[in-house]
Amino acid sequence: MIYLDHNATSPLRPGVGEALARAYAELPGNPSSVHAAGRLARDAIERARAQVAAFVGALREEIVFTSGGTEGDNLAIRGLARAAAARGRRHVVTSPLEHPAVAGAVAALADEGFRVTRLPVSPAGDVSVGALEAALGDDTGLVTLALANHELGNVYPVAALAAAAHARGALFHTDAVQAAGKLALDLPALGVDAATVSAHKIGGPKAVGAVFVRRGLVLPPLLAGGHQEHERRPGTENVAGIVGFGVACQRTAEDRESEAVHVRGLRRRLEQALVAIPGARLFGAADDARLPGTTLVGFAGAPGQLVAIGLDLEGICVSTGAACTSGSLEPSPVLLALGVGSEAAAEGVRISLGWTTTGADVDALLDVLPGIVARVRAAGVEPGVVGGLRELAQ
Amino acid sequence: MSRTRVAVAMSGGVDSSTAAALLLEAGHDVVGVTLKLTDASGTAASIGGRCCSPRDIDDARATAAQLGFPHYVLDHTAAFRRNVIDDFVAEHKAGRTPNPCVRCNEKLKFGPLVRFARAIGAAQLATGHYARVEHDGDGVRLSRAVDRDKDQSYFLFGVAPEVLRAVTFPLGERNKDEVRAIARRFGLANADKPDSQQICFIPDGDHKAFVEARGGAGPAGEVVDERGLSLGPHGGTHRFTVGQRRGVPTTSDGQRRFVVRIDAATGRVVVGPRDALLNRTLHVADLRWTAPPRAQGWPLRCAVQIRHHASATPAWVAAPDATGSTVSLDEPAAGVAPVQAAVFYDGDRVMGGGWIAAPPIGDGPSP
Repeated sequence: MIYLDHNATSPLRPGVGEALARAYAELPGNPSSVHAAGRLARDAIERARAQVAAFVGALREEIVFTSGGTEGDNLAIRGLARAAAARGRRHVVTSPLEHPAVAGAVAALADEGFRVTRLPVSPAGDVSVGALEAALGDDTGLVTLALANHELGNVYPVAALAAAAHARGALFHTDAVQAAGKLALDLPALGVDAATVSAHKIGGPKAVGAVFVRRGLVLPPLLAGGHQEHERRPGTENVAGIVGFGVACQRTAEDRESEAVHVRGLRRRLEQALVAIPGARLFGAADDARLPGTTLVGFAGAPGQLVAIGLDLEGICVSTGAACTSGSLEPSPVLLALGVGSEAAAEGVRISLGWTTTGADVDALLDVLPGIVARVRAAGVEPGVVGGLRELAQ
Repeated sequence: MSRTRVAVAMSGGVDSSTAAALLLEAGHDVVGVTLKLTDASGTAASIGGRCCSPRDIDDARATAAQLGFPHYVLDHTAAFRRNVIDDFVAEHKAGRTPNPCVRCNEKLKFGPLVRFARAIGAAQLATGHYARVEHDGDGVRLSRAVDRDKDQSYFLFGVAPEVLRAVTFPLGERNKDEVRAIARRFGLANADKPDSQQICFIPDGDHKAFVEARGGAGPAGEVVDERGLSLGPHGGTHRFTVGQRRGVPTTSDGQRRFVVRIDAATGRVVVGPRDALLNRTLHVADLRWTAPPRAQGWPLRCAVQIRHHASATPAWVAAPDATGSTVSLDEPAAGVAPVQAAVFYDGDRVMGGGWIAAPPIGDGPSP
């Protein structure tokens, strides 16, 4: 199997599986317990907290462990927006390109009566500081914009965006789930108030993540319950997952720089070959304004899902967009927001390279892809044979 | 043994699961595909386990995993809403009772499935339908299944021959008991799953509530007898179907009355005696031909079936004009409902068919 879907999840890095197994075997205690077993588990969590904090440039007390990216986005966005609303600010600014976790959290706020502004984006998926400044008002409580987009790979000027938000008294959250492990992260230097990261995107275990909350900022919990995570996230901690997350952060930090150079080189080779396929087009920003390993490509007349299935049957794993929204011939909301039209918006195929990717993987993909694209294009049933197809194509 | 790739459309039920198992056993490279057509997730309806519910998609996925072949879900919720559900609601509003399964087969299901099959390089698309399709040079012969109780050829008449050419029905030669036995032999978890009876997008069977919730309520008005005398008010024409007896006020003479006609424009529901339901002549519009009409010309001698589970009546089909064909039945048939499909058979073979135009000609009772 050739795995080219690192933006969906990245395989466990060396040492992480062993750390998980050890934690399950050797740390049976509840970290909140007063006895020795509890203290051992607590100590392991705090060591992992230091590793995660170091990975994002933060202080230990600025890290809140969660069950992953979706919970982290909900906790930060809904918590901070409600805190801002208590000061009379009930306006939230976001973009139409956000991951479903962010879009869903913002939609939940809209249901509660928050006013929501979605910023205009360029055809390449860029969000400008000027557009944000124009959208900010005296009642803006929170701005949430990703550090890097999950489908396009575009990297956003978060330091400047956060500064613009702060200039108007608004808080700034960034979803750093896709950026983590691919870019050097220094969240305090970016000036954000809160950020979300997820372990499994950097080669850690699934169902564990963290929210960074700037020191001094109160983050009200989403769940009612115990006192864990300094009253910010009740519930017994996922001890083994957190330990694995810490190890993954450490390993990623060691390898990130050389990995980025290697992965970017492979992606350039990949994209040079992709654009030579007739009817191919790359979506998103220019090469150096994207994450090193993310490519979103479309082939005119070939629905992305059918291309992805064709590749899967050859043992090659890619996706059509966020795994949370795939399994669908429906157009991608991200591509629709770029204004490419609904047909092209259903043609996106996301190829995401990562720490396991080799040149042979890229070659294997390129060996079969042109044939699959040609077969998918030829599979369109002639209009008139089946009425539904014409309507489907609209 | 050839490893021909075959795409199998899987509904999550025992039939399509068994079809997949048989093809796998025959040595094919089987790839499963399920269309997601309705979006009932999170509702009580989704737990019901009818065709195409999330529960059925899970069942299809589990069968594929158990038998060891890849399975994919294609989301066609929006197209299904446009092509099937909106049409169902609009037809009810207009006082007609459509058959959404025929419409789904014709307008929706087979298009994406055949496209999927071609896209993955499959030689054929298999489904769990009870019908037979034989490939005959450039043409196809679509026929009734060996199991007459399960025969679904009626639902398939609208599928174009060009599409049928790429289709195979592995269960066409088998009966249902045999299929369940095969499913048990393969240890399929859904071997004893009940057959779906309801319309897939109305799992509780309450058509009236479904239509009303989507703005498809027809006008309230009067129930009248054939002379136009009012028998009392009713709450909406969409609550009635031609041939229906339930909810029809009894007459003073104590005779049973049936709905014979629905006029959504005036809100009138016309009721009459059973004889008034009988039709000898019907107009069939929007014709399509699975087999080319026979060379000897018109009128075409065949047997016409006007409902699933009805027997076919010998009939003459007149030469079509721009509006369709007039069909003359040898024996009058009861309950000819507008927008139901009329399917023409030559013995077991489906010749073609169309949709019964509204209103039926109503020349029913023999003198």
